Amino acid sequence: MTHFPILAIMAYFLGAFLIVIFGRNRGVRNTLGFLATACPLVLMIALVKPVILSGQTIAYWMGGREPAGGYAIGIALEVDALGLFFGLLIATAVFVAMLYSFSYMSHDDNEPQYYTLFLMLCGGVMGLVLSGDLFNMFIMIEILTFAAVALTAFRNTATGALEAAFKYLVVGSIGSSCILAGTIMLYAQAHTLNFAQLAAFLPGHLNRATVIAYALLFIGFCTKAFLVPFHPLAADAHGAAPAPVSVLISGVLTKSGLYGIIRLSYILFRTMNLGTVQFWLVFLGSVSMFVCVTMALAQHDFKRLLAFHSISQIGYVLTAAGLATALGVSSGLYHAMNHTLFKGLLFLCAGAVLHETGTTDLDRLGGLSKKMPQTTVLFLIGAFSISGVPPFNGFASKWLIYQATYQKAVESGNIGFLFATITALVTSTMTLASFVKVTQSVFFGQLPKEYENVKEVSLGMRLAMGILALLCILTGLFPGFVTTYLTEPAARAALGANSYINAMMGSGYAESFGLADTLPVRFVSAGVWSPISWLCVLMIMLLGVCIVAVASRYDQVSALAASEAVPAPAARYGSGSAAEGKYELFYGGEEAVYSQVGGEDLFWGFKHNWRGYFRFMHELHSGIVNDYALWAVVALALAMLYAMVIL
Amino acid sequence: MFEKLISESAGKSPWLFHINAGSCNGCDIELVAVLTPRFDAERLGFRLTGSPRQADIVVVTGPVTKQSLPRVLRAISQVPEPRCIVTMGSCPQSGNVFRGSYSIAGPLSKYVDVDVDVAGCAPKPEAVIDGLALALKILQEKSAKRSKAAKAPAAKAEATAPETKAAEAAPEKAEAAPAEPAASTPAEAAPTTAAEAPAPETEAQVSEVPAPEAAAPASEPAEGGNN
Amino acid sequence: MTVILDGLKYLAYILIFPGFLFCFLSGMLLCGIDRKLVARMQKRVGPPILQPFYDFFKLLGKETIVPSAANRTVFLLAPLVGLAAQVVLQLFIPIFSFSAFRGVADVIVILYLLLIPALSVILGAAASGSPYAGVGLSREMVTVLAVELPLVLVLLAVAKTVGNAIGSGLCFSLTDIVRYQVRNGSLITRLSMLPAAAAMLLIIPGETGSHPFDAAEAETEICEGMLAEYSGKPLAVYKLSSAVKLLTMTTLFVALFLGGIGGGIDRVLMGGTAGGSIAFLIEIAVLFLLCALLVAVCVSLVHAVTARLRIEQIFKYYWTVVTGLAALSLVMAWYGL
Repeated sequence: MTHFPILAIMAYFLGAFLIVIFGRNRGVRNTLGFLATACPLVLMIALVKPVILSGQTIAYWMGGREPAGGYAIGIALEVDALGLFFGLLIATAVFVAMLYSFSYMSHDDNEPQYYTLFLMLCGGVMGLVLSGDLFNMFIMIEILTFAAVALTAFRNTATGALEAAFKYLVVGSIGSSCILAGTIMLYAQAHTLNFAQLAAFLPGHLNRATVIAYALLFIGFCTKAFLVPFHPLAADAHGAAPAPVSVLISGVLTKSGLYGIIRLSYILFRTMNLGTVQFWLVFLGSVSMFVCVTMALAQHDFKRLLAFHSISQIGYVLTAAGLATALGVSSGLYHAMNHTLFKGLLFLCAGAVLHETGTTDLDRLGGLSKKMPQTTVLFLIGAFSISGVPPFNGFASKWLIYQATYQKAVESGNIGFLFATITALVTSTMTLASFVKVTQSVFFGQLPKEYENVKEVSLGMRLAMGILALLCILTGLFPGFVTTYLTEPAARAALGANSYINAMMGSGYAESFGLADTLPVRFVSAGVWSPISWLCVLMIMLLGVCIVAVASRYDQVSALAASEAVPAPAARYGSGSAAEGKYELFYGGEEAVYSQVGGEDLFWGFKHNWRGYFRFMHELHSGIVNDYALWAVVALALAMLYAMVIL
Repeated sequence: MFEKLISESAGKSPWLFHINAGSCNGCDIELVAVLTPRFDAERLGFRLTGSPRQADIVVVTGPVTKQSLPRVLRAISQVPEPRCIVTMGSCPQSGNVFRGSYSIAGPLSKYVDVDVDVAGCAPKPEAVIDGLALALKILQEKSAKRSKAAKAPAAKAEATAPETKAAEAAPEKAEAAPAEPAASTPAEAAPTTAAEAPAPETEAQVSEVPAPEAAAPASEPAEGGNN
Repeated sequence: MTVILDGLKYLAYILIFPGFLFCFLSGMLLCGIDRKLVARMQKRVGPPILQPFYDFFKLLGKETIVPSAANRTVFLLAPLVGLAAQVVLQLFIPIFSFSAFRGVADVIVILYLLLIPALSVILGAAASGSPYAGVGLSREMVTVLAVELPLVLVLLAVAKTVGNAIGSGLCFSLTDIVRYQVRNGSLITRLSMLPAAAAMLLIIPGETGSHPFDAAEAETEICEGMLAEYSGKPLAVYKLSSAVKLLTMTTLFVALFLGGIGGGIDRVLMGGTAGGSIAFLIEIAVLFLLCALLVAVCVSLVHAVTARLRIEQIFKYYWTVVTGLAALSLVMAWYGL
């Protein structure tokens, strides 16, 4: 049992190395890839019982070097409910992305290299969330960053791939350097790198040096999560990367950044009880969700649009996580999970479209629902989920987030949190709007001539998408189950740092530093939402209406009547063209022509009113890597300044 | 009972779709006048609709130019059953002053079964309302026939087949108008644009101009009376 | 036994009283009243009050044409989902002290349920493939975006006010909001709620897509917009759900701001004890009259005196004037005025 965490990490890395050696043959390669991703998933699920249900925290010391004399020198892995929650997410997303890759990547060159990098990235993220000390975390971040950069540029013949990878490399390195610098400063202060020991030491020693370290680490993790000043990277990277890699970047890599921020703020520094830090996180989250959703509305590339939405949803998670209430953290984690599921599904759908048509340009696509009906249904499930349409999972978590932010505002009497609620609600509608745009531009509307021969994607790809879609529906239908068994324990772990410390350093260690947990772990929500009964009512309604619709027998008659009535005038007219017009679209009487309405300008009425803002954003996102690096530095400076002032 | 309800309703809720087949706009304006407060055809349930898919009655104005013919036929074919085709003004019935022009393909009855003709150049609003009311009756009959066909599927082939050609709503006036030779009516006189959706101003006028006095007396054509 | 009885009770709720039949009859009637009133305001005779029923049954008897370019399943299914969601929404809105389904949905759920009918029309329109529908759906989505912000603010203001009053600080449950009003008088009598009520009155025509805000269905410029390709039965279903939407929005207004009237009826009739079938019938009648009054004020009157706005004007109007009103109310509620 205690070996499970290290085995999960090793499975990925071992798989990566074995594929380098034996990966020439496709069968061997796929088997190895499948095993390397399935094993960690099984191991993570096996850990659910002890960690989440029984509330244990598993500490694993490599080589058996346990702490002595109150000092932890050895390399440690520690799995609490928070880590396991993220571990489960990662293992699931990685497994599905691997299934999808088998057929999606089968036309690419250099497949062994792809799988190697893929598994390195997964191993890096898994190591990050299970790691028990800061320096190992940094090493894992380095591994995953470079793997992600290489994967972004994997299709290096495609336009913009190398550029995106370069941008990612530059800004990602700034982030990694920040984390390294922060780690060094903490080591100088606390003479340890172990999380538990740091967590015991730091809350009592918030001086200038540790506070700057906090800011450095915070900005470092922000780059990994692509939060607002770093969001252009995500758009470029997602636009260039193959679809399964996008799933990894949005579903797995950004989660590692989030995990870092939560671990850092809640457990290491325990700064979350400060109103100023809460404000900082909620502000950053709200700005991220709003800026990115408006950026998404302006996109005309499927994958770039999804990339911006990805950051927007991460903004939701950060907002909720910044509330420092049980409900807040729980809802944030719920949304993080949902984000992995629906965003993964959407990226895979975008990949399916790219795979079949060769483009993701919204202005060129259209009408694919007739050619790819199953992909359309799967996409709609994902789109409804992300837009928070009940009863899909996005609604359940967003509903909790609104409750949490508003409750926080009422409890703290701070009207600022109210803006978070309002931003979240409006952002949700804008998300719906941009997915309406995608639906209209890609799947509905009219089919361009060049895509007449498009086919449905292969079974393996549909299977991968289907798994995610099923999970989207299930997690939406049973929110009570999810909160009780997944997010609440994780939230309890985030808010209860003492048990984390004690599990590693021996009981009573945290208390010896004078630390105490004050946890309101159970929460009451101000509203009610029971999806099952709601759904039952809807189903009965729908059934009733359908029966009525079927019962009226007019359709067959009208079909017959039509067949008699219409040809008559046409026959007299001679050409016969008029009779065919009956089932054509209405064009004011003109013959049907291709005229797809969609793409970038669909919401003109909205954008017109915001034209100043959009122009500003357009100029700001210059696409020059120097600018983005400058943003990173400015953000770092601001964060340090803020930390110095407030703490 | 349900069938009865439907066929009763069919005679009470006629939605108009207006096709301009090269009209001089005189009839088009008169059709709008019908919906103004003075005449208020909405009391009979009339309503202008923008799409042929939702229409019950198709009102065709203009002499059906060669350019507009395929468009007119296409638009008419897009109207779901049961439907009624009404020609308004003398042009679609006879060609009126455009008769004999090289660019005219009319009359409309050569191509489709017209249910009601409302003659006049342009017809008085009273005549139009009268014609539309007649179309309502026909619509109701057709709907009843469809209902019967639905009840007895075997008999439906006979029931729905013939389009009942109805009586003329107003005395034919077409020949009374000076039937000019083609040369004197240049092709430009008849706009060659396609059958338009109802003119954009119709709905706006209905809702915004409470009582236009000009409708009836000013444009009264001497011959196009009510019957 | 009780399970069966409960099942029958809820089935009756769904099919008859606050559910389908009630929605059908009163929604259509409200729609007819609206048309008649607009006509009278324009010095016309106007259609009979029962006109929407005629329209509905006529459309049921018409041929249904599915264009060959359309995605058949979505095209035909979308109206049904929209109607079902609309009626479900009505089930969740309490009628004074009576609520058919309590503990199932709250204010936020209702906010999202309001999206589903709009979304279903949008998807149906997209599935039809018509460019007119494409233009229409883009306008509809912008209208939804425009209305959403003030609606959110109004609901939050109400949640805060009632929450303050009942001591929990926050109350999202619509049943509790109405129950509070039944006991303590309508919210509209409070100063802080007046701007919110005004904003809600302005939201109703936007949400129902009635006249100045009907750019999405502009029949004269984009051929009925989203419904351009709809005919026959699916169109009838759409017309029905837009009529039910009138009922839903006005009932929501009554539930949010005028709930105290139910308490008044109880006091007058029963000497303070709630319940009783006569009181209940009177409550329904009063509710319907209130809805009709609201329709007259904020749908018919506005329809008769305004001209259609362009879509970007609609957006601007809602995000400035109406949002301003709602925000004012929220701030006043926040500081306990």
